[in-house]
Amino acid sequence: MRTKQKQAAVVCAVAALALFMLAGKIAISNEEPRYRVEDGKVDDNIFRGYQAYTRACMACHGPDGVGSSFAPSLLRAAERRTFAEFARTVAEGQEIQPGQVMPSFSDDAFVMEHVSDIYTYLSARAAGDLGRGRPQRIEEDE
Amino acid sequence: MSTIKHCLTVVAAVALVSGAAQANENLLELQDNSELWALQLGNYAGNRHSRLDQIDRDNVQDLRATWQFSTGVLRGHEGGPLYVGDGRLYIHTPFPNRVFALDIEDEGRIVWMYEPDQDPRVVPIMCCDTVNRGLAYADGRLFLAQADNTVIALSAEDGELLWSAKNGDHTRGESMTMSPLVVNNKVIVGNSGGEFGVRGHITAYNAETGEQEWRGYSTGPDSEVLLDPETTLMMGEPVGEADLGVSTWPEGEWEIGGGAPWGWVTYDPELNLIYYGSGNPGTWNPAQRAVDGEPADNKWSITVFARDADTGMAKWVYQKVPFDEWDYDGVNENQLIDVEMNGEERKGLAIIDRTGFGFLLDRETGELLVAEKFAPETNWATHYDMDTGRPVVDPDYSTFTQGTDVNTTDICPTAMGAKNMQPSSYSPDTGLIYAGINRICMNYEPHEVEYTSGQPYVGATLTMMPAPGDNGMEGRMGSFMAWDPVAGEVVWEVEERFAVWSGALTTAGNLAFYGTLEGYVKAVDIENGDELWRFKTPSGIIGNVNTFQHNGKQYIAVLSGVGGWAGIGLAAGLTDPEEGLGAVGVFSALEDYTKLGGVLTVFALPD
Repeated sequence: MRTKQKQAAVVCAVAALALFMLAGKIAISNEEPRYRVEDGKVDDNIFRGYQAYTRACMACHGPDGVGSSFAPSLLRAAERRTFAEFARTVAEGQEIQPGQVMPSFSDDAFVMEHVSDIYTYLSARAAGDLGRGRPQRIEEDE
Repeated sequence: MSTIKHCLTVVAAVALVSGAAQANENLLELQDNSELWALQLGNYAGNRHSRLDQIDRDNVQDLRATWQFSTGVLRGHEGGPLYVGDGRLYIHTPFPNRVFALDIEDEGRIVWMYEPDQDPRVVPIMCCDTVNRGLAYADGRLFLAQADNTVIALSAEDGELLWSAKNGDHTRGESMTMSPLVVNNKVIVGNSGGEFGVRGHITAYNAETGEQEWRGYSTGPDSEVLLDPETTLMMGEPVGEADLGVSTWPEGEWEIGGGAPWGWVTYDPELNLIYYGSGNPGTWNPAQRAVDGEPADNKWSITVFARDADTGMAKWVYQKVPFDEWDYDGVNENQLIDVEMNGEERKGLAIIDRTGFGFLLDRETGELLVAEKFAPETNWATHYDMDTGRPVVDPDYSTFTQGTDVNTTDICPTAMGAKNMQPSSYSPDTGLIYAGINRICMNYEPHEVEYTSGQPYVGATLTMMPAPGDNGMEGRMGSFMAWDPVAGEVVWEVEERFAVWSGALTTAGNLAFYGTLEGYVKAVDIENGDELWRFKTPSGIIGNVNTFQHNGKQYIAVLSGVGGWAGIGLAAGLTDPEEGLGAVGVFSALEDYTKLGGVLTVFALPD
């Protein structure tokens, strides 16, 4: 489970997949984000995006994308950035100034797999279609 | 002043020449001088109490800021200034870990500044901000635990680097945030990184040379934990079984088992024992730490260690939370207090713990004497079994019983703890402990997580909400309390809008001081908590309020600069789960009150 070779292979595959997805998404980045919110309940993409956000991003960017004293709010991130820009920032990280650093997630298979879901989740937050807290999934019982 | 300075120089020179001088003798001398604040916690016992009484209940309303100093660093500023009698304040900052010597007689002129050259890639692995809890001082040297795992010694005189030692590896998720403690010519320091699957350790370095003298791990075989099952005590009896630090984990999990001792260390010179707590076990998903599907103790995470200061051998251990299911990181300070219990004098050790329980232990044997809730909303355990020393967990709030990928709701307190690292104060005059408290609860959802070196190894998501309103504290997320450690009772408590994340101070002027996340420094009456004075610093306070006397004048000094876990969790406010989806946070958002920025503020009475 912790062999480096296996990890490297997974990371490579995911990186390639992410690039592929990224290329594919650029073409649709001007369209309305594709998601479904019904009676406050959300589709699987948003829900997975919420989960991935809370697992990987919340520790710095605060709960529900609202920002913190450590890193900025991402509520408008999906409005202000195309998916391509967003995914590139996640993959490459950023150094704003010494001591203010966003890590590169390119080696994090879980995050790279879910970049698109996170973007969808933040799009729903930006559009005001989704409030704070853990959303309910449409047909969660299934 | 010049006499004191001369005296210190001589002491330092003698220490350098003889080589065998005991740093703790110097510190013992300094801590007994009530004019000084030579240790982060005020004294070895961790009491944060001052015998100074120039500022008192009758004149505290005249207290005013005499000067302020910006550190030029934006991150959360924990810890506080040291005053060792040489006319300067020594302060530190979060990453990049600047150290300043400031001239008190020249309103904070910079005598010297030291800034280490550190790899900025350490920043993203510091989960809850790039904080640092401050400098240690002994024999003319200052000691600092840098974020990048380098322990350094500086000459207090001119800031010259005397030695540096490597304590860990940030590419494996290790970092340092704690304030070292100097004992018997050793600098004692632990690692951070409990959310990155590190293996916790505490290490002693020679204060003069930086050579490693001993290291005790929090997990693994007894030979590396520095524990002897036949002599090390647990609840007053020998531990008995060998290598519990291996056998109470699933295969190999102890190697990434956390237990990072990143909090405060205290010391009893008579017993020659140091005391500290180890942090949370590895992943927050308890199912991944179970053995054969059953809860396993995951020793020695969340454990109070009493170790021989010279050899590191564990004299006794007490595991506060075996098999953690809530991230109740066990690092809170162990206050050494002498108490009378049932007509008997006891050498006590008191903890205002993350778990919401106030503990009192016998610090010679590790026997549990008191375990009572100081935060009434605490519900993860109904009580502690005083015979076994183990908590009785409520299955409704057991995230293991509820299961992986299940959102266990309304657990109190939150993972931040009913009290986090903010060090409490003990007044020998009242026999009470004074502490800033968090009144916040959580939902906790464990999930399967795979370990990758240097990546977060968390395995649970959590959401937080204010403690239920039936405690009479509707909409309030914090308080400042006086706690009777022997009776196990809250004596008085004052509400605060936000969690109180600053270290407390009590003085012989019958005052208690603390800071708030909005940025207020407050002085309250030690008898009843009535507010007597407040001042708004430029940013929220997660540092500690310290006091000292220079040229006959008592000063109060505090670092402000919001950040830390409090800043991450509370910046945009918490939501009321009852309000349902889409509700705007009904509870206050910290960002409406304060922004980042490190500032030292020094207060005194007018001439």
